Amino acid sequence: MPLTGLQIFKLLPNTNCKKCGYPTCLTFAMKLAAGKEALEKCPDASPEAKAALGAASAPPIRGVTVGRGDRAITVGEETVFFRHEKTFVRHPGLFQIFDPAGLTAAERDAKLDHWRAIRIERAGETFQVDGIAVVETAESVAAAVAASDRGFPVAILAATLPGATAIAERIKEHRPLLVPPAGANLEGYAALAARLGIPLVVGAPDLASLADAARDAARAGVTDILLEPPGADPRLLHHSLSAIRRGALDRIHPGLGHPVFLCVGAGEIEKAVLGITKFASLVALADCGGETWLPLWTLRQNIYTDPQKPLQMDPGLYAIGEPNDRSPLLVTSNFSLTYFIVSTEAEASGVACHLAVVDAEGLSVLTAWSAGKFSGDRVAKALREMKAAERVSHHTVIIPGYVPVISGELEDALGDGWHVLVGPQEASDIAPFFRDVWGPLARDLGTHP
Amino acid sequence: MSLDLKPKKWAGALREVTLGAGSRRPVAVGGGNGLPLHTFEAAFPHRPALALEITDVDPVRWVESVRQPWEGVLGRPAEAARRAVADFGADLLLVHLMGTHTDRGNRSPEQAAADVGAVLEAVNVPLIVKGPGAGQKQNTVLARVAEDCRGEGLALHSATNEDYKTLAAVAVAYGHALVGESPIDVNMAKQLNILLADSNVDLNRVLIDPLTGGLGYGLEYSYSVMERIRLAALGGDAMLNCPIVCLVGEEAWKAKEAKVPADKEPLWGSQRERGIHWEVATAMTLIEAGAEVVVLRHPETLDRIRKQLDSWFGSEPSHDREGVVQNSFRATDEHR
Ligand code: SF4
Repeated sequence: MPLTGLQIFKLLPNTNCKKCGYPTCLTFAMKLAAGKEALEKCPDASPEAKAALGAASAPPIRGVTVGRGDRAITVGEETVFFRHEKTFVRHPGLFQIFDPAGLTAAERDAKLDHWRAIRIERAGETFQVDGIAVVETAESVAAAVAASDRGFPVAILAATLPGATAIAERIKEHRPLLVPPAGANLEGYAALAARLGIPLVVGAPDLASLADAARDAARAGVTDILLEPPGADPRLLHHSLSAIRRGALDRIHPGLGHPVFLCVGAGEIEKAVLGITKFASLVALADCGGETWLPLWTLRQNIYTDPQKPLQMDPGLYAIGEPNDRSPLLVTSNFSLTYFIVSTEAEASGVACHLAVVDAEGLSVLTAWSAGKFSGDRVAKALREMKAAERVSHHTVIIPGYVPVISGELEDALGDGWHVLVGPQEASDIAPFFRDVWGPLARDLGTHP
Repeated sequence: MSLDLKPKKWAGALREVTLGAGSRRPVAVGGGNGLPLHTFEAAFPHRPALALEITDVDPVRWVESVRQPWEGVLGRPAEAARRAVADFGADLLLVHLMGTHTDRGNRSPEQAAADVGAVLEAVNVPLIVKGPGAGQKQNTVLARVAEDCRGEGLALHSATNEDYKTLAAVAVAYGHALVGESPIDVNMAKQLNILLADSNVDLNRVLIDPLTGGLGYGLEYSYSVMERIRLAALGGDAMLNCPIVCLVGEEAWKAKEAKVPADKEPLWGSQRERGIHWEVATAMTLIEAGAEVVVLRHPETLDRIRKQLDSWFGSEPSHDREGVVQNSFRATDEHR
């Protein structure tokens, strides 16, 4: 529980010596309670005060690392319920569930190599398979070793305690995550995780027993714990996920302050969507096709984008394809998403063009225009700065269809010889616009797009 | 040790908006007094409603996988409407008059009104009628539709901060609901509702369209703006407590990821499944953020989202619910 100012005050020396920079210990205590100061500023604080405040200021959700080396993944350490309050910090790891039963060593390795090689670039992030969740069978020790050797963090989906022990012993240096079977007696697994110093998943049929089970595992010496929420159906899962996050942030039970683990069976993408949006930290997926993974990677990228940071492109003149001085010149805002959509559609049109990205402070065209950041003057200034006149001989600029109102001002500001052409509202109309409007016009201008 | 999980109580609730009147079997949405889907601590008189989008002309740019279930009825709005309701189980329909756009056929307001009239004949679910996009043409088209279909409780899509007067006037005059569309911005959504209220529009007949960013294309902006709108509504803001409608299908199927064939991007998997997953993930995420009406394109998406929602709201089909305005949490004038 966070301490109140008065509770903190009672822990301070109450000498009002001012060394902390505040006139009284009470003022300083109030600042501490508000999270605006650090206890280190009081040189005379007792060890008891430090311990009490330390426990109270520990993150509400602990961080847990699975794996070692480059691909190790740390999850947890979240501090908010709504992403707009601050941001979600540690995106959930997406693990591939892998049942090696019946596979030859070569087949097994081929699969692991395939997953290891997957790298998909999207909007500045590289999507990859974050780890392998090995189903315990007779072949699993070798499979877990093979996955660890490839650098993958491994989760052990245990069936039996002896089987899980055999796997965990072999790869313990790689910090595998131990996942007991549903309904198992957790004592033996907790002892194993504590002995090897590896993270453990704790499950229970209801939230109260889940919190207690996590507390008991911690008492048994397990330092890194993940919670598997009760979730027999979507409603219950949603309830559990929301309650765990809220309970952890409100610190109502020490057993809730851990990241969440979720197992998603084949054909259950909706469950994974719920998990990624609502606070799950490790999601193990049975499906292995791109049609399942790509939407989930993308969803994770969206939800874990920092909402405080407006996504901006560097302003400038961007080439789509290999444009020349007769290619069309489009202008748009530097909102990343706008750029992303416009450039994707322009590229798909097959017509090479120049895309002038104007500093609109990261706002979309319409919003920027309403805020005065996409006025004719500003666009003209930007075009001059990027020396657009030297890049196109036709001196025609195509503006977004949402802001025809800036045409006049822009034409005036650009000066003699420039034409302003109002383009389509939707980026998806760029291709027909190039074909039906720009094409004939370019011919009239004596140029060829 | 027992858990002290206190249910969260809020000062405000969403308005309850009833779509459809006259010959329609009405569908009410909104009215909930808690965070979306938080049925464990709040009351929700209505489940989110699922609409399918049908078009007046053949939507030639829809990809094959989303055209396929509509084979034979694309561009035939009455038949598409019948299929959407009878075969696919849509709670309501969005009739997209895309063919009235000057660049896409330039169909006349009279033709548009006739198309909507034919849909009204074919089915008895409520309709959202979407024009060709803000501007003079949209106003003429929707004004004509509103007049010819008076009393049917259509939802006219959409009024914007820059252009709302015509639609506000015809909605009031002919007894329709109105969708106010603002660009992913809490303040502009609020401002528009204030403008509409000042134009004598009853906000109990308004839906907010906060502009949908599809998965991978701004979904996170819509998600957070919708969460913030919901929090404002629950905090008692009577200018932000209208239910939200999201045009999910249009945005999800616009994504490159929903359109690129498997042979072009082998790591992306099956195009058909990928596209449907794209729409499902967008819809589910936005329902979690507070969408009360989602407009979809693929019937399989509708089916899958319905099965999810059944978990929260039970499985009785919504058009069998008579007297949908019972059990009201309606935010009325005392909240103003
Ligand atoms: S430095 Fe410590 S003892 Fe001195 S006034 Fe500040 S809080 Fe009190």
